[in-house]
Order: sequence, then C-alpha cells, then structure tokens
Amino acid sequence: MIKGVTFMKKSCNKYTSEDISRFVDNELSENQYHALTQHIIHCPACSRLVEQYRSISDVFNDHADQEILKIDRTELKQKIEYATQNSKGTSLGNVFGFFGKNIYLKLASITAIVMIGLFTFQGDLLGPSGPSAIVKYVDTDFSSVMIIETQKEQHTIIWFSET
Amino acid sequence: MNISETDTDIDEQNLVERLKKGQQWAFNVLVNKYQSRLLKIAYGITLDREDSREVVQDVFISVFKNIQTFRQDASLATWLRKITINQCLNWKRKWKRRFKWSHESIESENDKTLFKENKKKNDPEMLYRGKQFEENLMQAVKTLPEKIRLVFVLNTFEGLSYEDIAKTLNIKKGTVSSRLHFARKNLINSLGIND
Repeated sequence: MIKGVTFMKKSCNKYTSEDISRFVDNELSENQYHALTQHIIHCPACSRLVEQYRSISDVFNDHADQEILKIDRTELKQKIEYATQNSKGTSLGNVFGFFGKNIYLKLASITAIVMIGLFTFQGDLLGPSGPSAIVKYVDTDFSSVMIIETQKEQHTIIWFSET
Repeated sequence: MNISETDTDIDEQNLVERLKKGQQWAFNVLVNKYQSRLLKIAYGITLDREDSREVVQDVFISVFKNIQTFRQDASLATWLRKITINQCLNWKRKWKRRFKWSHESIESENDKTLFKENKKKNDPEMLYRGKQFEENLMQAVKTLPEKIRLVFVLNTFEGLSYEDIAKTLNIKKGTVSSRLHFARKNLINSLGIND
C-alpha cells in the first residue's frame, strides 16, 4: 500500500520519492502502477521527479556506451596463452607427461634415484651397523657392572647385574 | 579469425559445449557476444575505461580456465555477470589501498532546466549544457558508495528486476529498492536539481 507522504520541497502528499523510484523501475503492483500513472498527469512534482530519475539513468547509460573500449583480442590471446602455460607447469598432466616418451629410460632413471637414495640413507633406516663399545667392565662374586657407550650419539649406559 | 553476425546467434547450450571442448572459434564468439555488456558493467563499477577493459580481459581468461566448472544452473550471461562483478570488486579493493576517489565539488546551475528543455537537442547551447550535465552526473556517480552504485549499474545497464539484482548480490529485494532510491535521490541532490 502506498502511503501519502510529502517528498522534496514542492511536493506531493500522496507518493514518496521511493514510490516514484519503484514506478520508474516498473516494480509497483499493477494497481499501484495504474494509479500513479493517472496521478502523474495532474501532479507536476511527481511528473518532474519521474523525468529526472529517467534522465539520470539515460545519461549514465549513454555515457557508458560512449566510454567503453573494445577488447584487444591479440592481448587477450597472449594472456590466455601465458595463463595456460603457467597452469600447465603445475598440473598433474605435466607430471604424467614425463612418462609419455622413452618410458624405459625414465623408469630406469627413477629406479636409479631410488637405489641411490636407499644406499645413502641405509645407516639411518636400518640402525647402527655394529654393537656399542664397552668402555669398562667389572665382574665380582656377587655383581657385574658394565659401562657402554653408544656408537653414534656416544651416550653412556651403565648396566648392573646381581649374580 | 573473423566472426560474422550470424555466428553470434549460436544457441547458448551449443556455445557452452563448444567452449568446454576448448574450441577457439567458440571463445571468439563468446568475446564478441558479451564483451560490450561486460565492459559496461565493469565501467560502471570501476569508472575507468582502461581498468574496465583489463577487468573484462581477466573475466574472459577466467572463463577460459574455468568453463569446465560451469554447471549451467544459471544462464551463461548470469555467470559472466557474476564473474565480472567479483573481478571488479577485487580490482577496486586492490587499488583502493593506493588510490582514493576524489570528491570534487559540483556546479550545476544549468542542470535544473535541462529536463524541461530536452526537446532542443540540436541547439549548440543545449548540447554544451548536456555535456556539462553528463560530466556533473559522472562526478556525482563517483561519490556514490560502491554497494549503492553496483545496484544502480545493474538496474541501469542490465535492466535487471529487483529480484534478479537481489539474487545476483545476495541481498534482500527491499534493500535493492532502498539502494536504488538512495542512489537517485543522492544524484539529484548532488546535481542540485531537487528544487
């Protein structure tokens, strides 16, 4: 329901400027639209506002039509090629592409890399290759004490046993 | 490759299928068909010719890269419009840190009578005053808050209904109405033609 509220200085007591805005956009109900259409014929204030609202849209629209530039197709094509190349560099497709040609050579290379890696890290993976060093060993009738030092970190372990 | 007028008449489903197949021809049709609309939206938001062209180029690159993700829940135009709006807003945010819109004073004594005298369009004086009015209007448009201008742009350039604008921007229909009203009232106040 449209309320009768004053708007602007020279005014109309029946319609608000928001009603006029919605009228211009054809967003009123059919009854409201027809009522306002009839009202505008006799109301200079509303009529003028309708004209002003339409004019600012028309001028803004025409201005934009004149201002816009065309897309530079050559530049766009170059940008797309650049973007495509960049995305290919990180894509899985590129990784799988590694296996595309000379597959035996590439498999052999991978096997070699894996073998070298395994041998390099063998010590770490399989643990120390020999026993820890025994620094001191004391054996009596009722107990035994053994001082051991680990091979890599050189930690001292004191081992005690009652006989 | 040149594109004839009839090439742009290809139906949307067919165009999308061809785009998904990566056909260069279809991409050219897409650019030809939508560039003006998207450039206008971008210009309305950035208010800069060069920036709007850059933005729309980025939109087409984005479409080229992401066309496989387009599920056709909405029309191609709607999808492109949304990408353009997002690109523009990101673009503006990027530059906002370095650049503030200038708010210049507006002198518009002549604008008050322009609406009444628009029948004399070929009169040199009227043409000059028309140009002056356009410049003043554009200065006023620059002062509109971004979210207000965005609604105004979609209404004016795209002729979208309040409901469609609301869906596009994920806001309420009533908010669209109030923002459009605010934009118009503000522009008319800035132009000094409200009395």
